[in-house]
Amino acid sequence: MQTIRLFLASLLLCLSLLGAAWLQSRQPRPVSLLPTLTGQVEYCLTCHADLPEISPSHPVETFGCVLCHGGERLALDADLAHSTMRGGRNPSEFAVVEASCGSGDCHSGTAQDQRDHIQRAVTSVQGTYAGAIASIRFTYGAQSDQTARLGVYPVQDDHLTTATGLASLGTFDPSQESSPSVKAFADYCLDCHLSAEPLPGAQYARLTGCAACHTPTANTDLDQPVHHLTTAIPYTQCNTCHNRGNYDLRQMQFHPRTDQPVDRLHDYYQPIAQFVRCEWTLDCVDCHTRFEAMGDGDIHSNKKEIQYIQCRTCHGTLDELPLTRTIAGQDDLALRMAFLNPVIDLKVGDTVLVTEQGEPLWNTRQLADGAFELFGKATGQRFTFRPVMGTACEQKLDQQESRDCHECHSVKR
Amino acid sequence: MNKKQGPVSKLHRRDFIMVALKGTLGLSSTLGLIGLIRFLGYQSDPAPQTEFELGPASNFPPGSRTPVPEAQAVLYHMPAGFIALSLVCPHLGCVINSVEQGYACPCHGSRFDAQGQVLNGPAREPMRVLRVEQTPGGQLILYTG
Repeated sequence: MQTIRLFLASLLLCLSLLGAAWLQSRQPRPVSLLPTLTGQVEYCLTCHADLPEISPSHPVETFGCVLCHGGERLALDADLAHSTMRGGRNPSEFAVVEASCGSGDCHSGTAQDQRDHIQRAVTSVQGTYAGAIASIRFTYGAQSDQTARLGVYPVQDDHLTTATGLASLGTFDPSQESSPSVKAFADYCLDCHLSAEPLPGAQYARLTGCAACHTPTANTDLDQPVHHLTTAIPYTQCNTCHNRGNYDLRQMQFHPRTDQPVDRLHDYYQPIAQFVRCEWTLDCVDCHTRFEAMGDGDIHSNKKEIQYIQCRTCHGTLDELPLTRTIAGQDDLALRMAFLNPVIDLKVGDTVLVTEQGEPLWNTRQLADGAFELFGKATGQRFTFRPVMGTACEQKLDQQESRDCHECHSVKR
Repeated sequence: MNKKQGPVSKLHRRDFIMVALKGTLGLSSTLGLIGLIRFLGYQSDPAPQTEFELGPASNFPPGSRTPVPEAQAVLYHMPAGFIALSLVCPHLGCVINSVEQGYACPCHGSRFDAQGQVLNGPAREPMRVLRVEQTPGGQLILYTG
């Protein structure tokens, strides 16, 4: 009897060892990476060696994977390796962005050193949705004016730099609202801020957080992983939120566009809007600046406070030329931006357009004859244009807003 | 009809179990031994190399500027002696390229002059100066650690 027990025990031991050997044989041979920035070995490339470089500014030999994505750097089991990843596939989600994109002071820092990207994006109206929330609450009597008080998440700004900046926002909590319309707004209309999951459909396909804009995914299958970051953002990516339909505030319903645009002009969708040529031949980011799209670091009550590009920014007016700045040194922000997206070979001594806030339109350059050239950030296409001053324009001097330019220059649709 | 039967060797149950026991124990021992050898023989990833033998100093004439790709560095033979600059960008660690009038980081655009001083950011620190030593036998050794 004892011999049988011994045999069974040895059989069990043998099977266990065989099982362990089998499991060991299934383990992949680790592919080691030692990123210069962290100095810590990681084995992520064992399975992910086929991923493309996410951008020229983030080479894997320098950053590795774990600095941005988190995860267990030495694990060879997929579940274990992925168990502590930040934000799943998207470490730029605002809930984790400070630990991922902000780690190592990369995109987190002061406005002075131009490293406040996260603070600006998180406090922007696209991030907080504070403008829409304030507008709806005001419309339905939940607040006495249209000053933003609440966002989809709470934010604070300790360093106000603009007259319209607010110190903080609380959290918009629909359960605390008494108006059925405001509750319905919360239920049906909070799907296009930067933290919201997109609506189903390839036309709405975008990620969240920074990647909502910087990882172009429009008209793609979001189930397929995409490993790409860029500042060359095509208008189609903006269209995953914008120009995709209208909200009916009486019924608090979103009515998606039903047309089938056949050309670029009709791909914009605001039935009553007027467009001039550059508004439908350029991409949104060719004119709209970093401050406008990502925020200026202050908390604002609505888009109007932060969106300031007008026709005159590039074209000037009848009695004023557009604002310009000559690049004096290698540290100029315009050169830095042009380096990241080299559609234009800017040099020290070149003159670029600037906004009233001093932001350089780094994809422009003044030509010797006083005209300007502009390069599409997503297309690289070159356009030239002249200032209004000295032309046959008959616009009144006190009517120089973009809407006044549209009166004559809108295209028929 | 009588069938002629050959001799049949009978293996008793007890003997069979003993053979099987010895077999499984032997196999287990072998597997365990293999596992132990693999465990004891495991070699972790080697630490990054920080010491590089560059060869005879006479290979680097005065005034020369020699890239040392394996050390991510560049070696200068100056009038005052040998110095080396690290090509690891002091901003975020990308490998800096040599350009016409100095160095440029391909990741974020920092530029440095030929002495490694910052021409424009985002880097704030100059390129790191590395230690170079000459052995009594005239061999150059570069230290990156």
